[in-house]
This record gives sequence, C-alpha cells and structure tokens, in this order.
Amino acid sequence: MPSVCFYFEVHQPMRLNRFSVFNIGKNDESLSTYFDSKLNQKIFEKVAKKCYLPTNRLLLDLINEFNGKFRISFSLTGTFVEYCERFMPEVLDSFKDLFKTGAVDLIEETYYHSLSSLYDELDEFEEQVKMHHQMIKRIFNYEPKVFRNTEAIYDNRIAKKIEELGYKGIITEGSEKVLGWRSPNFLYKPVNANLKVLMRNYKLSDDVGFRFSVRDWPGFPLTADKYAYWMSHCEGDVINLFIDYETFGEHQWTETGIFDFIKHLPRAVLKHKHLDFVTVSDVVDKYNIMGEIDVPWAISWADEDRDVSTWLGNDMQIACFNELRDIERKVKKQDDEDLLHAWRLLQTSDHLYYVSTKGFEDGNVHAYFSPYDAPYEGFINYMNILQDLKQKVM
Amino acid sequence: MKVAMIGWEYPPFKVGGLGTHCYGLTRSLADKNVSIDFYMPKTKHSSSSDKDNLVIKEVGETEIFPYDRPEDKKLAGQFFESVYRYNDLLVQKVNGKYDLIHCHDWLTMKAGVALKEKMGIPLVLTVHSTEYDRSGWLYPNDWFINIEKEGMEKADKIIAVSHFTKRVIVEKYGINPDKITVVHNAVYPIGESEKKNIVLFLGRLTIQKGPEFFLKAAKKVLEHEDTRFVVAGIGDMLPRLISQAIDLGISNRVIFTGKLTEEEVKHIYQISSVYVMPSVSEPFGITALEAISAGTPTIVSKTAGVSEAFQNCLRVDFWDTDEMANKIISLLRYEPLHKTLAEQGNREINIFTWDRVADNTLDVYRGIT
Repeated sequence: MPSVCFYFEVHQPMRLNRFSVFNIGKNDESLSTYFDSKLNQKIFEKVAKKCYLPTNRLLLDLINEFNGKFRISFSLTGTFVEYCERFMPEVLDSFKDLFKTGAVDLIEETYYHSLSSLYDELDEFEEQVKMHHQMIKRIFNYEPKVFRNTEAIYDNRIAKKIEELGYKGIITEGSEKVLGWRSPNFLYKPVNANLKVLMRNYKLSDDVGFRFSVRDWPGFPLTADKYAYWMSHCEGDVINLFIDYETFGEHQWTETGIFDFIKHLPRAVLKHKHLDFVTVSDVVDKYNIMGEIDVPWAISWADEDRDVSTWLGNDMQIACFNELRDIERKVKKQDDEDLLHAWRLLQTSDHLYYVSTKGFEDGNVHAYFSPYDAPYEGFINYMNILQDLKQKVM
Repeated sequence: MKVAMIGWEYPPFKVGGLGTHCYGLTRSLADKNVSIDFYMPKTKHSSSSDKDNLVIKEVGETEIFPYDRPEDKKLAGQFFESVYRYNDLLVQKVNGKYDLIHCHDWLTMKAGVALKEKMGIPLVLTVHSTEYDRSGWLYPNDWFINIEKEGMEKADKIIAVSHFTKRVIVEKYGINPDKITVVHNAVYPIGESEKKNIVLFLGRLTIQKGPEFFLKAAKKVLEHEDTRFVVAGIGDMLPRLISQAIDLGISNRVIFTGKLTEEEVKHIYQISSVYVMPSVSEPFGITALEAISAGTPTIVSKTAGVSEAFQNCLRVDFWDTDEMANKIISLLRYEPLHKTLAEQGNREINIFTWDRVADNTLDVYRGIT
C-alpha cells in the first residue's frame, strides 16, 4: 500500500539592491547596501498574508481534525527564518504550532539555500548544513533525520557527505535519467553510500505545483477526489509529493480553488483504505531499499532539464559562481561575521537563477520569479556587488 | 496579385528605416509571386531591381530628405511644395491594373488616398513613424498630423511597425484599433567580425534619436573606463553635438564620422563593442537589429519598438544616462555578459526575416482583396 509523503519547501531569498558600477568601492563600511530590505520586507509580508499564514492555519486544522493521520513535512531555509524573526514572528510561531502536533516533520538543508554543494571542497557546504541544524535545534528543539539539498541538487559526492554527517535519508528528483524504467515510488540507495533516497514523483507533484490552474490540461479541474483516485492506482511504497510551499495562495491564487483542494484532500485520500500519510522520517523508518542509483553528474528538480543548468547554464552564471567561490579563503581570513554572513547570503541560489537565459517555456517561469526585467540586468547587478565585495576583502 | 507600392526612398538611396523596409518587403513579396510596381521620386542615384515581377518606377524629381525638419521658412516652403508635387505626379502616373495600393508614411499619403478614390481599389498604409516621433514629442506640427490623420482614416488597413506605434495611432489619431496590424521589422544579417574598443551611436543626428544623451553617458563612462565613442550620421544637431563634446571635455575621445556609405556602416557595426540607441521616440529601430546581426551587444531605449519585440538586448530610459553608462561599462568590463548577449542575440535575430514580414503583409492584403 503506497503512503503519501507531502513535503513543502519554504524559502525566501534576500533580494539585492540596485548596485551600479559607480557604487563599486564607494561605500566602505556598510554591507547592508547590498540587500533591498524594503522590497524584501514587502514581498515577505505579502507572501505571508497570501500563503504562509492561511496555509499553516488550514493545515493545523486538518491535522487536528484527522487526529494526526494527516502528516506532512517542511523545510525552512535560514534566510526564511531570518525574515520571520525580523518582520513577522507570528509566522514562525505558526510553524511551531504545527510542529507541536507531532504530525509534522522538519527537513535539513543548507542554511542559505546555496550551491555550496557544487564547490570543489565540501567544507563550506558542511558548515552551512550545520548552521541549519543548529537553527532547527534552537527553534524547534529537534534534529532532522532527512536532508534535502538546494532544489534537490544531488550526486554521489553529496550523498556520501550526507551519510558522513549522520543523516538517514536524502531527497532528490525522480528523474528518468537516473531511474530509467524504475518507479520513483520506492526508496533507493546511493551506489556509494548507506542512505535511503526519496525520489520525487514529479508528475503528480507538478500536477499541483504547475498544472493545477492550467485550463487546457486534460486533468483540469483537479479535485481532491480525482487526485486521490490517481494516487490509489499508483504502484509502490511511497508517493513523494514535494512542492514549493508558495504554490498555495501565491503561485496558485485563492481563486483557483487551491485551498479547497487541500482542505478536501486528507478525507479524499483516507477514503482509500490502502493509502495513508507519512512524514519523511516515517518513510525512512518504514520502508526498505528497492535498488541502487548511480549519479555521477548532479541532478535537481529544476526546469525541464532537471540538472544544474538552471544556475550554471551560461557564461554569466558561471562567472558569478566562480567569483564568489574563489574569495572564500579571503572572506574567512577577515574574521568578520557580518562580512561572512553577506558573502553567504550572496550564495543563495536565487541570485544565479535570475541570470538564467533559458528558452521560452522555462524562461517564463524564471521571469515570474525574478525581480529583474532580464537576466542581463540580474547579472550586471549581482556582478557589480561581487566586485565590491571582492575589493573589500583584498 | 499586383500591388502599386508608393515609397520615398529605396537602396542605394536611403536615409531611414522606411527605405530599408521597402527594400526587404518588396523583394520578399516578389519571391512570393506578388507583382509590384514600386513608385518613388527620381533622385541622383537611380535604383533598380533584378526581379521580373518587381519594377522600380521613378516619378518626378526631388532632393528632399523626408526626415529633415526644416526650420527656415523658405526651405520649409520648398519642402512642402516638393512633397505636393510628387504626390500630384503620382496621381497622374500611377495607371494600370492593380489589386491594391500600398503606401508608406505621410509623404505618400495624399497620393494614396487620391488613387484609392480614382481607381476604386483598397489602400494599405504602413506607418513607420508619426509626426509625434519625429518631433521627439516636442511641438509636433499640425500640417503633418492632418495629412497623417486623413491617410489613416481613409486607409482600409494600417500596418504599424510596433505595438508602441499602434497605440500612438489609436490614441493620438483616433483610429479604430481593429484595422491596425502590427508587423515588426526585420534585417539582412551583416555578420560578425573582430571587435575594437568602440562604443557606437549611429543614426540621424536629430532630437528624435537622442544623441545628446549618448554624449552625456560617454562622459560618465570615460571617468571609469578607457574607450572611444563614435557618433555616425548627419543631421541638424551636428554642430550642437560637437560643441557639447567640447564642453564635456571629451572631444578627444569622440569621433564624428559624418555621413557613411553602406559599406562603412556595416564595417562600423562590426568593429564596435557596444551599440547604443538612446532614441527619445522610436517606432521600431531597425539599426538595433543591424548592430545585433553584426554581433554587437545593443542598448536600446525602453520605449523603442524593437524593445518590445527583441529579448536579447539591454534596455534603458533614454534620459537615464547613469544607467546607460552603467550598462556600457558592464559590457566593456564583463566579458561573459558581452559574449552571452552576442550569442543569444545572434540566435534570436534569425527570427527577424523579411520573409516573415512579407508573409504578415500578405495576410493583410488577403484580408481586403
């Protein structure tokens, strides 16, 4: 009997200020000029009102109504938690309330939602995972058992590192490139590490995340009953539905009926006697490994390509990535906490995402999320800031 | 199908986008088995066609440049008179069996309207620019506006070179949007060559094209970066621009080329590292496509028609010379930006063919014949 594993990614990047070449080297002391705190606060408050607060309230009611049989998991990035603590502590409180029910699990990741897992050495990556670990411990008094890297970026090297750090499970994309004919609805083991890998069922996940309100999609309109029926016909142990949390109320507006969909989903699923809900920790406790996966090249759940080309797909992105990575030692030598924090905030993958020049289909998704008119604008702004930071540590 | 097309200029004699457009359009239409008689004023250089079903017919004589804005009263008198004479001659000379008349901009509108009435066939009008554009939205001249308005009202169908221009036609001239089709311009690709450290402005030196903003940005760039600026073209603002460069203290870094031949234009596009089109008002801006097709990353005014049609270019407000300088410096400094824009631009430019323009224009023809 397949279990349904719902997991939501909750993240907000620190968006950048407009920073022209004329600003480079001008402002000696203040790193805060890199970030557009007004815009960031505005967006955070808007999303909190449209998504975080109402969705958390709805999920809490559902967990109570079904006595903990409705189970879900979350990952909260460090930058997201900083937003909560700075602007709206009540958002964090509502996550604490959810966690207290015992039906909610938390997932580890890098504090900064960064691409540090792609650096030559993994020590910066390890530091950021530990920072996230400490944050979750501090706020929830909990130690996550399952890890999910930024946008599910995964390869053998990362899997090995995550095993070393003591995690039981890791999440990635159920990509055909890796699975071939095999189903994502089972647990797999990395060829080189002792770890359980949860593979995202991207078809069913994207039915909610991307296609929910697409009128010419044959599945439209998607009701809770229809979706539960599809799942009841799935083979395997676990259906991993990993979805961007902002899908609820932000990407899919209230008017699309997304909240009604969620509201009716637990009952619709539990009507099928052979279905149940699990958290990511439940999955690794309950199910066994079905096969091995070998992933020498990094995959992810982003775009159609499902690799790292979303962030490192053109020369501009690679140049920024290298600039930032190459000053690691110099930044750390300064022994300046604010500087280190700023350097790490700049590692958040979103900054490179905005510089992607990918073609029309994906490009539209990129444009939707980007604060810039074009990837070139994103590059100029980001690169100017990187040049300024570089001058500061020279 | 046989079309009487009425223009003002045709290569090798041309000063603006109108001539370029007519050349690309007529040749691609001819390839699609449309017969065209292209009427234009007789000039010093004579134009010709190597295609059987495309005939260039020269009518009367003129030395008037359609984009000049005569300030002198006497010159202005000659100017208007010459346009009237050309239009009157057209009404006498255009004879034969045509399915429709297609004319371009105000210069040919009077004849277009008269011929439509005389011959009883439909009239298509392409608007490449309006009086509002040419005046840079400062003191537009009613004499032109009235001719344009009458032509637009009498035309059966209007082709606008951008949505920006369509909006002007609807809002300023009160024309029904349903009879306006937007057809973006195209380019015959120039091809790449080795780059030099040059930032280029190329166009008529008139208020519409915003050359003074280019010089202001140049001043800001030169405070941080060593490069050369080229101002290519002629126009009524030339003396003022030369003084401006001297006043800004950058005259040793700015080259005014004067009028360039077609070969020289291609060459300067190819060797420039950055092309800037800071137009105050630009219905389309074919020069941006030309520069991009020569592998030159391009910065265009946000309101230019090309900006709505072409993705892989940089955009600025023409008055924001700080941002213009920021982008020029970034292009000179950051090789990956320059390279990506050149590559992506080159890929995108392949969509902008005269064949597509001819197809879209044929669709308009078929809707009324």
